[in-house]
Amino acid sequence: MPNRPLQTTETGHPVSPLHDLPKGAHARIVSIDVQNAFGQRDEHVTQRLKELGFLPGATLKVIGFGLFGKDPIAVQINGTKFGLRRREAEKILTTPHKA
Amino acid sequence: MTSAHVTTPPLRFALVGNPNCGKTALFNRLTGSRAKVANYAGVTVEKRIGLLQQMDAPAELIDLPGTYSLYVASPDEQVARRVILGEMADEARPDVLVAVVDATNLKLGLRLVLELKVLGLPMILALNMADAAEHRGIRIQVDELSRRLGLPVVETVAVRKHGVNALQDAMRTIAKQALQRADTIPLPARGEDVEALYARIDDMLAGCVSAPANPPRWQEALDTLIMHPVWGLLVLLTTLFLMFQAVFAWASPLVDAIDTSVQWIGAQVGALLPTGILQDFLVNGLIAGTGSVLVFLPQIIILFAFILALEDSGYLPRAAFLLDRLMRGVGLSGRSFIPLLSSFACAVPGIMATRSIADPKERLITIMVAPLMTCSARLPVYALVIGAFIPHQTVWGVFNLQGITLFALYIAGIVSAALIAWVMRKQQHAADDFPLLLELPSYRWPNAYHFLLGLKERAWIFIRRVGTIILALSILLWFLATYPHAPLNATAPAIEYSFAGMLGKLMQPLFGPLGFSWQMCIALIPAMAAREVAVSALATVYAVGGGESALGASLAHAWGLPVALAYLAWFVYAPQCLSTIAVVRRETNSVNATIAFTGYLFLLAYLAACATRYLAGVWL
Repeated sequence: MPNRPLQTTETGHPVSPLHDLPKGAHARIVSIDVQNAFGQRDEHVTQRLKELGFLPGATLKVIGFGLFGKDPIAVQINGTKFGLRRREAEKILTTPHKA
Repeated sequence: MTSAHVTTPPLRFALVGNPNCGKTALFNRLTGSRAKVANYAGVTVEKRIGLLQQMDAPAELIDLPGTYSLYVASPDEQVARRVILGEMADEARPDVLVAVVDATNLKLGLRLVLELKVLGLPMILALNMADAAEHRGIRIQVDELSRRLGLPVVETVAVRKHGVNALQDAMRTIAKQALQRADTIPLPARGEDVEALYARIDDMLAGCVSAPANPPRWQEALDTLIMHPVWGLLVLLTTLFLMFQAVFAWASPLVDAIDTSVQWIGAQVGALLPTGILQDFLVNGLIAGTGSVLVFLPQIIILFAFILALEDSGYLPRAAFLLDRLMRGVGLSGRSFIPLLSSFACAVPGIMATRSIADPKERLITIMVAPLMTCSARLPVYALVIGAFIPHQTVWGVFNLQGITLFALYIAGIVSAALIAWVMRKQQHAADDFPLLLELPSYRWPNAYHFLLGLKERAWIFIRRVGTIILALSILLWFLATYPHAPLNATAPAIEYSFAGMLGKLMQPLFGPLGFSWQMCIALIPAMAAREVAVSALATVYAVGGGESALGASLAHAWGLPVALAYLAWFVYAPQCLSTIAVVRRETNSVNATIAFTGYLFLLAYLAACATRYLAGVWL
């Protein structure tokens, strides 16, 4: 796992990327980050995530993982469930949120 | 309309909506299920078109691939966009859009609707699954929503017989105002960012939609089970095991019954007619050929019964999610697992099952590698050759050498498929690589009407589109193996004098480097009908009666071990089954893809057999 500097929101809440969240966690999206692995298409992926409802401020819940490790990850957002691969999940920065 | 009129093409309606919004069920209701199913020109994306019922003038309906957005689009979504804009070759632009939204998932659907509205085409909004929404306590004020959107809005329940009446009324009304224009429309620049669009939707829904915050409890409970690391795995393995067992084993009594019936009919017809060309043609050409088409049906119907039920219930996307990691290493996704698993029984239903893969490139790769999964028709050939050449001895204390050889043949197929899929994925432009964002739809009880329609549709596609080709090719093979007849004083088996025999002998020099004798080459020709026929063909050319052990003994005498192993290697790869080639032609709708498929597999078979022969010659 890459060493990320510990981030916090402006109000001092800890920030972690979606793929680091445990199953059952509730979180609020802080921002959609740049993912270098996507290269030039990164903007596209960001747009698609937003179109599906992954917008800053939206709340989500981690509902499960694929069979091998924590990739892909399943989340519920706006009542809809999506499976995301780790590369996509890494773009989504979240902060804990009470259900 | 009088005959003096120039017949105008029918008005074109298009169903547009997110994946999983129940578009296809709606399509079935609106068209009375008489759909034409094909591919769009040049891409392996399914196209579904049918005539609308209950309209005043003829009108057709096209069911577009599910899409979330006009702007950011995966390859299959791009097809939907291009059809809507009129950019797709051979597809006239739709005159009227019927936007379909899952009423239990309004926000996501409405986002696309607002994008579509900017295009300015006449449009109706169908709030589908209105019954499920009502059941969940979602209250929608339809008239108010319609006023705010500026679109006619109707509620639909595609699973109920009268659930689309209101939509049909709205379609008749809008048809009167719609103009037919065969132009293209430019995609307008995005007017607002996604945040603003969602904010607008929230405003719009406020006051006219009330919904409870959480999905029903049983949905949650089911997902807790299915996403569970232990129980979920158990559910998945049980499902896959049942499916594999059904396609592999439960289908075989039906296959045998079809086989027996076809033989019985053949015998009856044979008894009625005098011996001669006509009798031979009817019994061994036409009736046997029809039989060779029908034997695929049990497996196809059983496999699709599973796939349709799993897809409609919402489990299939979850199985794809759970298995995604396993397939990703070779550039595929969880969606390709079930088609490949099914191919162990038979590649024909397996390749047909690739229709549930949305990404056209992934679907093509899956089709290309599916026949490398060792199908059941190879087993008789493997059993014969292994039984004759591999000693029945125990190695390393527990393993049987014959068993190890069979296992190695399975593994060779799987490893080769993985390598080829990986290479094909590398060949594609990385820029076309689209991230996996897989929606896991709500669980639903499959609806009998749509389930049976889906099964009927698959069976018909196979019988009409593929069966006719298989029948024609079977008759051609019969002709090649029958003509010219052996002379009266013939000493050798009749097949040697036929075109198939001549072809086999003609092919032999080409197969020289592989060590194949002309008898082995002859057996390859009728084996094109089905691989297992190679066994009876070998018995014929070597003129051996008295069952497999006698044949095995005479093969052991005639072939060397390296050549026998080379023959096995050939059967691992060779597209030694015309039905598979026919189904690839149908599913890819591309002659080039079919040629590439056939060519690469034959080449691979040749190289593998050649290498096997030389390596076995050096080492054994």
